[in-house]
Amino acid sequence: MLERAGIPAVSICTDAFRITAEAMASQYGFPGYEYIAVPHPIASRTEKEMTEMARAALPEIARILGAES
Amino acid sequence: MTAQRADAAPPVVDLDEIRHAMEYYADKGWTDGLPVVPVTEGYLSEFLATTKRDPDEVLIPMPHLNRNLTVRMAAINAALAGCRPEYLPVVLAAWDSFLKDGMVTRSIWQSTTGTAPFIVVNGPVRQEIGINCRGNVFGSGFRANATIGRAIRLGAMNGLGLRPHVFDQATQGTPAKYSCCIGENEEDSVWTPLHADHGLTEADSAVSATVIRSVLHVEARHTTDPGQLAYELADSICRTGALVRPTAGAIVVLNPEHARKVDAAGWSKRDFVAAIHSHGVRRYRDLAAAGKEAIASGTRWRIPGGHPDALPSSPPADPDEPVRVLASPEAVHIVVAGAPNAGVSSVVETFGPLDRPPAVVKIQPLSP
Repeated sequence: MLERAGIPAVSICTDAFRITAEAMASQYGFPGYEYIAVPHPIASRTEKEMTEMARAALPEIARILGAES
Repeated sequence: MTAQRADAAPPVVDLDEIRHAMEYYADKGWTDGLPVVPVTEGYLSEFLATTKRDPDEVLIPMPHLNRNLTVRMAAINAALAGCRPEYLPVVLAAWDSFLKDGMVTRSIWQSTTGTAPFIVVNGPVRQEIGINCRGNVFGSGFRANATIGRAIRLGAMNGLGLRPHVFDQATQGTPAKYSCCIGENEEDSVWTPLHADHGLTEADSAVSATVIRSVLHVEARHTTDPGQLAYELADSICRTGALVRPTAGAIVVLNPEHARKVDAAGWSKRDFVAAIHSHGVRRYRDLAAAGKEAIASGTRWRIPGGHPDALPSSPPADPDEPVRVLASPEAVHIVVAGAPNAGVSSVVETFGPLDRPPAVVKIQPLSP
């Protein structure tokens, strides 16, 4: 929705929700829409683990957003 | 397809064609796993003839999924579910109640929690279409209960696209998802029924729907003391496993024998709810043993006290300090149902905003 409004965006979910992410993309007419799947789960992780996950996902986020490496 | 014929003779049918139709509907993914009733335009028109509502009227909007559940789609799924056409006004009132309840349009049926539709029916319509209110009220064996509940579930799957493994992301779900529709046993109850407590009269027929996580069985055959019964129900409602958010809520489905014992002790329904509410606490120590003694500052979920987002950040001086889990008496509603043959009742664990009246919707008269 943000991208339709001209705002670059990237969707992030955990790998447990891949099927839903792809179904949602198809529902909106964008099969194959690129998103990032990080390891599941989120709710029970420590702050340090979350920071590490975010850091690990950053290059892929930048790539999908089209940022120069 | 003809709904009713004058003769009671066994039908003469081509079994291969029936099996073909059943397999066709299953292959299309239009079922809940059990066989459905094939629906033709002619059969659908029998359902739509029971309501004055426009078939294109939207009952449940789901804009983020580009879906709307219409009267026609609700009718098709009622037919698929095995409803008789005259059940449709109950099904439509149930959808209106889910809209009023608010959780379905907040996408609760996409949630990992995996809630089921729960429907309580009150008033004369129970006898008119044969909704079971007595023994085995949550069990199988009654067409109206089984198919009205199923009509909602199939409507969610086929009409709103909320299929398991796709948009329905329930971690486990609950057996109640197949169907969970009960009538209140008004005839054996000592109290005014649910709908008459919330603005309608006993001569009205009504549906009250909400989403639930489970139906807990409560054994209390031993007591005639309403205080003990209230304690036992509150203990079940306030189990730590129920707490994702700070507080809990429930519809207590009290069997008529329990209701009579409460009444015989001189307590009103309101007194009994007040007693359940007064017992609706857990000790800080008990919550801490489960790691749920604090509230997250962002999500408001229950989390361990040592978590960086935790509020409060330090334990109370007395770990036996009670923490309120039932925020107000409005977090508990009473429905009387089942057989008056044993001290067995149920806690129906509701989900979503608590402390509010049930979403009672009057059923429009069956004949147009």
